[in-house]
Amino acid sequence: MSGIFYKKGLNRRRFLQGTAVGAALAATSVPRKALAQGEPVKIGFLAPLTGEVAAWGLPGLYGCEIWAEWVNAAGGIKIGGESHNVEFVSYDNEYDPSKARAGAQKLINEDGVKFIMMLGGDTMPPVVDISNRTGMLVSTLLPSDLTPDTKNLIAPCEVHPIYNVTGVEWLGENHPEVKTAVICAQDDALGRPSVATYLAAFEAAGIEVIDDPLFFDYSTTDFAPVMTSLMANNPDVICLDTSYADFVHPLMEQAFLQGYEGKIISCTADFYEQIIEKTSQDFVDGMIFQFPDFDDAALNESQVNFQNPNDFYAEYAKRWPGEWGAVSWEYASIMDLWKAGAEKAGSVEPQDVLAAMKEGGTGLHAFGEAQWWGKDLFGIDNALVGDWPVVVIEGGKAKIKEFKSIPAWWDKHGDILVKHMDAMGEMYYQRT
Amino acid sequence: MLELLLQTGVNAVYAASYMALIAVGLVLIFGVMGVINFAHGELYMLGAYAVFYFYVEQSLNFFLAVAIGMVFVGVVGLLMERALFRPLRDNPLGGLIASIGLLLCLQSAITLGFGVRSKNVNPPVQQALQLGIDGVSVPVQRLYVVIAAVLLLVALWLFLKRSRFGWALRATAQDAEAAALQGISLNQTSRIAMFIGAALAGVAGALTAPIVPTEPLMGHSVIVTAFIIIIVGGIGSLEGAVVAAVLYAFVHTFVTTFFDGTIADITGLLLMLLVLVIKPTGLFGTKERA
Repeated sequence: MSGIFYKKGLNRRRFLQGTAVGAALAATSVPRKALAQGEPVKIGFLAPLTGEVAAWGLPGLYGCEIWAEWVNAAGGIKIGGESHNVEFVSYDNEYDPSKARAGAQKLINEDGVKFIMMLGGDTMPPVVDISNRTGMLVSTLLPSDLTPDTKNLIAPCEVHPIYNVTGVEWLGENHPEVKTAVICAQDDALGRPSVATYLAAFEAAGIEVIDDPLFFDYSTTDFAPVMTSLMANNPDVICLDTSYADFVHPLMEQAFLQGYEGKIISCTADFYEQIIEKTSQDFVDGMIFQFPDFDDAALNESQVNFQNPNDFYAEYAKRWPGEWGAVSWEYASIMDLWKAGAEKAGSVEPQDVLAAMKEGGTGLHAFGEAQWWGKDLFGIDNALVGDWPVVVIEGGKAKIKEFKSIPAWWDKHGDILVKHMDAMGEMYYQRT
Repeated sequence: MLELLLQTGVNAVYAASYMALIAVGLVLIFGVMGVINFAHGELYMLGAYAVFYFYVEQSLNFFLAVAIGMVFVGVVGLLMERALFRPLRDNPLGGLIASIGLLLCLQSAITLGFGVRSKNVNPPVQQALQLGIDGVSVPVQRLYVVIAAVLLLVALWLFLKRSRFGWALRATAQDAEAAALQGISLNQTSRIAMFIGAALAGVAGALTAPIVPTEPLMGHSVIVTAFIIIIVGGIGSLEGAVVAAVLYAFVHTFVTTFFDGTIADITGLLLMLLVLVIKPTGLFGTKERA
């Protein structure tokens, strides 16, 4: 008895060849299976639900739960004359690339999702590989993830970090006394392109950045030295860039304690009520950022493409008091666009929906009409770009001051943005 | 420029204080029990959550909440000693692995109990004291941390030098077998070391809860820094841990202020490498412990 068991004619080389071919076939595409009558459509939610970046994942999942309940209560989505409910399948990637890869594989192969929503950033590269092999449609909140190779990746809602130009433009127009600025950010895939954008926006607005951007590590816990350094040259405005909520709060607290009296601009001001509790309303009033509360009356204007924003905010606040943040509405907004694309295509298959969404090169963005854009900056027109709100805290409450056009800024100052992105190594041809 | 230097110095004193509390506790546990406690950062995290629970949710006085947090984390340390480290006393690798497992359990338990988002802990006094020179100040909450660190470390020093239990701890740290032959109970010294070490980490977390984001993974960053400090100071040396905490805090804080935080982290690691190259035992370490 030899102790070796194999079928006659099957040697190691053939076995490996066969396995490789099988694996390649299995990985080539998502199985194209028509939905059975009444079968729910599954959507993957692959974002950080725990850890330092959870504030930009978990609140979005909460928003999607409300979205799904409302859509399903209204009959679901209509595909080929049939109604289907929508079901979210979540996977916590902890903002860890290896977990994002495992999550994408599970969502596609085991759960059979038709679309995957992600935050993006450091977690995106492994998922892009899978998306390119399978044809799975994936969305990101960060267009800086886009490259000419990311053909199935779209940024249909948030145009981070490009919308940050609108806040600086508004600051320059409304506060001409502001002449100097400093910037700090965590040193990662969210912070660096955002720094390049703010540098461009300040240059376009005629505001001098008087020191090199200060980068700090992801594991930083003591922000006193960071703020001491930022305040050393008495800037008129301190820019907190796209710092995470857990960094914005201690930075603001340190600015308050160290006696800063100038303006503060930031991409986000999540849970700003807590910042007010730790500092004062007077100190926080005037802070400029980019994410409105959805009880804002300005969101009832006709161009806004989000279903019942005020009711959505009220329901959200009722279920998760104090949890409203920058991304609470964004993933739900992406689902609005995906639903419209699927119903237009009469299919939930990823490539059909993608084609329907991008048809004509324009679309309805959360804040109005927008265009599929990005070739010059990302090498691919997969970002849906239009107006974006500038938000200022007044009387302890976030208020939309103005909707400003990102394409209009780009037409005037695009070359400056490309210059700074290039210097930061963040252009699509510099990213690996 | 003078203002900037002084303010940076003040910032560094605070950083040195809380780092010293954590690192000294870690050294004490390693010195007496021979265990590399990877869950030490989570003891710091538990201290912060104790303050969140008792001070924010139960509305107790802040300092009472800190005291409760310190004792609570000390008791957690006792449980760790009895349930994990004592059965693995002759197996240092087993103790290390058990502490990693406990680390994950504590993080998960806090996540289940309090959620993933960081908790907001407002300081009892939110103001800064001016230090005589315009623009140089220290927030009162940070001053509490500095005062507590000085008092607790002096008390620990007196305890180790002047009390019979302290002598027993030092004897066990020098040679556990010889200490046992002299009638010193290794179980008792381990309990004392674990209680004090854990309580120091707990009080550091409790006092800094209003300053840093209180969240389940907050122990990660401090444990890395604490290991750098005890390697620089000399593994097993309490004096070395304090001196290295001060050295590391000043280097890190000044480099952050005058260059940036990423360069500061690299500089901290280079400092550790430099010490290892010049004096492999660390600044105050001995060959037996290296």
